[in-house]
Amino acid sequence: MTPRVRIAVFALAVLCLLPAFAHVAWHMPPFGAHPLPYGDAINAAGTRERHVTNMISAVNFDYRGFDTLGEEFMLLCAVTGTSILLRGNRGERVDAPQQVPGRPIRDRSDGVVLIARLIGPVTILFGLYVILHAMTTPGGGFQGGVIVASGTLLVFLGEGYRGWRRLMRSKLLDGCEGLGATLYALCGFASMLAGLPFLQNMLPLGEVKDLFSGGLMLLENLGVGMAVAGGFAVLFLEFLEETRVASDGDEEESGG
Amino acid sequence: MMAMLERVQSLLPWAVAAWLLGIGLYAILTSRHYVHLIGCLSVVQASTYVLLLAAGYRHNARAPIFYTHAPSVAVDPVVQALVLTDIVIGATVTALLLALVLQLHKRRGTLDPEKLRPMRS
Amino acid sequence: MNASLALLPPLPVAGPLAVAGLLLVFGHMLPRRVPDAIAILAAIAAGVVCVLMATHTVQAPLTYWFGGWTPRHGLPIGIAFVVYPPGAWLGAFIALLFVATLLFAWGYYDEVQAHFHVLMLLFMTGMIGFCLTHDLFNLFVWFELMSVSAFALTGYALRTDALEGALNFTVINTIGSYLILGGLGLIYIEVGALDFSALAHGVNAMPGSPVIAASFALMASGLLIKGAQVPFHFWLADAHAVAPSPVSVIFSGAMVSIGLYGIVILTWSVFGGSPPVQHLVHTLLLGLGAASAAVGGVMALMQRHIKRLLAFSTISHAGILLVGVALLDRDGLSGMLVYLIGHGLVKGALFMIAGIMLATLGGIDEIGLRGKGRPIWPAGLVMGFAGLMLAGLPIGLMDTGMERIGLALRSGHELIVRFAVVMGMVCTGAAVLRVTGRVFLGWGSVAGEEERSPTNAEREKADRPLWLMLVPTTLLVGLSLLGSHDADRIGWRAASVLMQPDHDAVLGLAGPHPASIPAWTKVPGSWLPWLATMLALGLAVLELTWHKLPRRVGTSYDRAIGPVLAVLRAVHSGSVGDYVTWVVVGLAAMGVTFALI
Repeated sequence: MTPRVRIAVFALAVLCLLPAFAHVAWHMPPFGAHPLPYGDAINAAGTRERHVTNMISAVNFDYRGFDTLGEEFMLLCAVTGTSILLRGNRGERVDAPQQVPGRPIRDRSDGVVLIARLIGPVTILFGLYVILHAMTTPGGGFQGGVIVASGTLLVFLGEGYRGWRRLMRSKLLDGCEGLGATLYALCGFASMLAGLPFLQNMLPLGEVKDLFSGGLMLLENLGVGMAVAGGFAVLFLEFLEETRVASDGDEEESGG
Repeated sequence: MMAMLERVQSLLPWAVAAWLLGIGLYAILTSRHYVHLIGCLSVVQASTYVLLLAAGYRHNARAPIFYTHAPSVAVDPVVQALVLTDIVIGATVTALLLALVLQLHKRRGTLDPEKLRPMRS
Repeated sequence: MNASLALLPPLPVAGPLAVAGLLLVFGHMLPRRVPDAIAILAAIAAGVVCVLMATHTVQAPLTYWFGGWTPRHGLPIGIAFVVYPPGAWLGAFIALLFVATLLFAWGYYDEVQAHFHVLMLLFMTGMIGFCLTHDLFNLFVWFELMSVSAFALTGYALRTDALEGALNFTVINTIGSYLILGGLGLIYIEVGALDFSALAHGVNAMPGSPVIAASFALMASGLLIKGAQVPFHFWLADAHAVAPSPVSVIFSGAMVSIGLYGIVILTWSVFGGSPPVQHLVHTLLLGLGAASAAVGGVMALMQRHIKRLLAFSTISHAGILLVGVALLDRDGLSGMLVYLIGHGLVKGALFMIAGIMLATLGGIDEIGLRGKGRPIWPAGLVMGFAGLMLAGLPIGLMDTGMERIGLALRSGHELIVRFAVVMGMVCTGAAVLRVTGRVFLGWGSVAGEEERSPTNAEREKADRPLWLMLVPTTLLVGLSLLGSHDADRIGWRAASVLMQPDHDAVLGLAGPHPASIPAWTKVPGSWLPWLATMLALGLAVLELTWHKLPRRVGTSYDRAIGPVLAVLRAVHSGSVGDYVTWVVVGLAAMGVTFALI
């Protein structure tokens, strides 16, 4: 189809769908004023039963913890796929900095280096704070993991390629990611070993509003934090490595 | 009259979700650059998030974080949990797509979907 | 036994997940073939657990609440797996297919980091989880897991064509996932729960709700994208042609069929009490299934790239599966379940043969490989036999399933659907038989329509011995010949259980209420399978020898059929923008059908 034909067909299809949309929208429950039985049940019981104050984490790591297990491994798949696509073709070198032909290599500005060296570690610390406080205030492994990984980009700006590459070893990051995911799965098996259903919270729950409340949720949260931080760090590493021109050691085509 | 206006106002979230879905799909099918196309996939993704989060909203209710106040009437934490994990996963799938696009650009030198048809060049 | 049975449900899912995680961490330290062995053992273990569960839940399904969150006053707050024969047998089939594929792929990937095996294990986990779960968002999570691992596996070969096909595949399937999530949001708004049983209660309370109908339309569209049905099917040919052979085995053998199983679950377990939905399934989905059967068959005949040809044949047979579902009766559903497994085994074997051709003959183009198949003649025997089974040869699981679906079709349904189904069988069987004749016997020196179809030069690693690749192939075909009688009976019971889900028992509101299963009766034999097989053989021979016919026959055929084929070929353009347009057209078709009810 030519683009014009495509747009015409699309417009026709949308025209057919508009009455359907209007009909459905008119019969939707009133926004903001319809019953939420599932949410209310969890809100009412979560603090009492699991000693946590962040209900969203309670849903993610306890009530619907099994979903999060699947989601975590999905992240693993996507990151593994990306690293196969990018790393497989390029090979691994840790000594050569960026060399794109035709582009001058400028010295890094002192201002950028200073700010990055200040803010980078702070960001990573903030990310760790967000991960650890999953049970009490808004946050958790997913959010904090992404912040930690973003902090490593600031480290890249501050330390330069060689320094950053010395920290970011792909084997280490892969291990971090895999370990985090496996930890979550093993938490579930730990419950089964204790004679309980998979992923049931059987560790001491601690006190409400305490940093170490929630029992098994803490371990699961830690696993997720490691997996997400490791995963995103791998992604950033692979994409930044793409800016390096392929040199003689790299293969042209990888047969798999 | 006021009731009618309120009724229409309460349709707004669903209209926004439908609009995002529609415009995202339109942009994908007229896209001439793969990176743009992947961005439009994120727009389609956003439409589902708007729908889900609007599903869990409740007027005059607080966030479901009971750190500073005792458990009370709050919005739905379940949809927030679903959307939260989905956003992170969505970002990694976008990364996978971008990696595919990157490799394609290296081999073929173009990123125009019209020129990049499997086995027909 | 009962106590240990109650521990089994999480194992086929959580076990491979843990193994995959460990392989990712320690894979680079293991010697060369150890990850292969570990992955195969994990798949075997998952399969054994599924078989155990399937055989022990015949009387009553086994409900397992994760995290110990059993329902409170009939309101579920956790996630459940409800294990009963349909899901468990499908899980066992999936594990079996993976074992055969991993055997076939032994040594395929030389890399030291076991990434391939990690992705395959996660792919398997997603599919098994999809079959066992009883929660809508959990279903979505496993659906996404199987999709994302499929995306990662498709681009593996890193050839240019692999990347374009992988992009088409990823974009269209991602849109499908978002459609499912949108439908999930809609039904959550209306009913306020995510467990199938709670949703079913909610749907029963609001039978005519347009929001619920729209929710089904969106979710069904997403599942039909995965199930490769017209007009959502375009991505499959591109993805198949470029995925590595072991991965293609799984795509056609299981992934597409599981998408259609999702439609079964939704239609019966969740939306059973919604008349608009049942009507949509019985009209539009029946039509789409018939159209897929016909279009897939014709397109298969038009291909010269063998994996593309097999991909279109999958579309056709998946159309037959959808017809079985859409007939909304026990015969159709029972036949569909048996046909699903039979087709998966046979199609998996065919893709393995395609892989053998790529590895040993160095090509996958039918015309280019003419007559070169003699060194691997055992594969030719298997391929010919598989082609006959696709056409409807009356032995084995495929035929058992087909007879049931045929019985359902015979009870007064539109003639055009029956015609489309037979056309699909005949055309796909003929296409595979034509390939067998051309590659292994050297016939067909003059190519027909297929010469104009897209193709490319490919090869795969050639260091595995032929016997190692043939063993799983013959195993799959052999298994598809076994136990038809028992399979029919199991399918009959499984369909009955699916059609009468025991929601109150799952929610703890009442004691178990076993489904009433009418007496099983054997399907009376019919001459149609023989006719279809003969027609397929005849068509294949015709395709190979058409140049010997008088020229007038050729030109009148060209004038009559040529324009139709040209339109079909133009429509399958390979452009992702076109594919997305067709997805929107499909959505509009759903909307229009609802309006006309």
